[in-house]
Amino acid sequence: MGLLQNIIFGVVTGSYIAIAAIGFTLIYGIVNMINFAYGEYLTLGAFIGFFAATTFPIPLPVAALVAMAGGGLASIVLARGFFTPINQTGPVPLLLTSIGLGIALRNAIRLVAGREARYYDTETTTFRFDAIPDLSVGSVDLLGGFFVTSEQLIVVASAVTVFVAIHGLLTRTDVGIAMRAMGDDENLARVRGIDTQLIRDSVWVLAGVLAGLSGVLLAIQTNVNATTGFSQILQILSAAILGGAGSPYGAILGAYLIGIVLALSTAFLPSGMSGLSSAVAFAILIIVLLVKPSGIAGTEVREA
Amino acid sequence: MSLLDVEDLEAGYGDIKVLSEINLRVEDGEYVTIVGPNGAGKSTVMKAIVGLADCFSGTITLRGTNIAGMPPEEVVYEGIGYVPQSNNIFPTLSVEENLRIGAYVLETVPEERKQAVYDRFPVLADRTDEEAGSLSGGQQQMLAMGCALMLDPDVLLLDEPSAGLAPDLVDDMFDRVDRINDAGTTVLMVEQNAKEALRRCDRGYVIANGENRFEDDGEVLLNDEEVRRQFLGG
Repeated sequence: MGLLQNIIFGVVTGSYIAIAAIGFTLIYGIVNMINFAYGEYLTLGAFIGFFAATTFPIPLPVAALVAMAGGGLASIVLARGFFTPINQTGPVPLLLTSIGLGIALRNAIRLVAGREARYYDTETTTFRFDAIPDLSVGSVDLLGGFFVTSEQLIVVASAVTVFVAIHGLLTRTDVGIAMRAMGDDENLARVRGIDTQLIRDSVWVLAGVLAGLSGVLLAIQTNVNATTGFSQILQILSAAILGGAGSPYGAILGAYLIGIVLALSTAFLPSGMSGLSSAVAFAILIIVLLVKPSGIAGTEVREA
Repeated sequence: MSLLDVEDLEAGYGDIKVLSEINLRVEDGEYVTIVGPNGAGKSTVMKAIVGLADCFSGTITLRGTNIAGMPPEEVVYEGIGYVPQSNNIFPTLSVEENLRIGAYVLETVPEERKQAVYDRFPVLADRTDEEAGSLSGGQQQMLAMGCALMLDPDVLLLDEPSAGLAPDLVDDMFDRVDRINDAGTTVLMVEQNAKEALRRCDRGYVIANGENRFEDDGEVLLNDEEVRRQFLGG
């Protein structure tokens, strides 16, 4: 497979990581916590979508909407139950609570849904582009024929739709501008009359909705099992930090960078080293942070 | 009844008491300043009024309503506009978005008030879409005042508006405060630059160690032997 094909794989991976990373980074910037249980929200969304699509046979887009609603509901219920009561204790107790909550959720999902992987029933059309010539440099083919599946196109299109919607929300609506204001300065936000708890709740719902969608897209690409989301949490976290923690636009950039680097390192590292491909993503993270500690799009690191 | 009445106020943060007994009143249309040495608790008076500091006892009455202990997101509905000393704008929001948040508690952004802010501070009108964090210190101070004015408050609280400004901008800032007061807005201002503040205000309070020390017309305080010797450096 040529470079072009692997970049397509990377863009697809980057797309569902980006959707989740936006939710993750909004929680970081506005609620001021790192939510390590966030991967489990993806798993929940993927299962909700799966059972919705199979129990009552409904079309996949409707099942995805059900998963988004379910993700949003789960997120706000969990936040109200576990995070809001200890909101004043600061980032570290919140982080530790989220790690514990993640373990509990993961095992609860395994108990209820079982260990086996489940597959969404999708019809896939594959579009092939074989006419593109090879352009070999050493062992690497810089062009080469490639294919895209209809599923991959859906993943990318969903991501682009989410980006436009999030941009609109954050720049055009009162609640979105209030979210950004709160990320800047919570005390000043209160002085201006912003109900900070209401905004926090909105962020939780939004992050849950995004996790639900990301989980369904991830599951369509691969499968859904109890660790579907957990296996992505480090990539999501890296994308968010890489982009400048708290910045949704940075998180998008970070996600595509991570997705493409993962795909390329899987494809082009010598076969004995392919297990290191996720390490490569983190090597990039470390290098970027050494050069620009606030991340790609970050202007400041929020005070803890 | 005064517009704003602070009686026997004891306030601070958590377990720490900063104000032990503060009394002050502001009449409708007045321009009142609070001066005093560093650490006297001047800013804490402001923060207690808007709900950012904890009120332990005493009352803060605005047009007859006791607002002591009310959280900031509710105080704003009572008609108080507050401009903190620092961190008084949202740096990653544009100038326009900052003004929009200034009117957050209203159903719609009042266009004529926004235009009035831009007329008052034309330099902001040229930079509506720029990030507020990229403005100079003086421009940020103007934006912060503009945000507070978006609600057409009954009383405008200014916490050291001249702090951090280049010396040649300080006079300009005081002129702007004068004009805001002349246009009918009641002003309560805390200032480090005591002489200039007393020269410009109607009435002044000198506070030290969290207590009232002197209270009189600005000019009178400015010429008072005792005040000059203790607080104005002779």
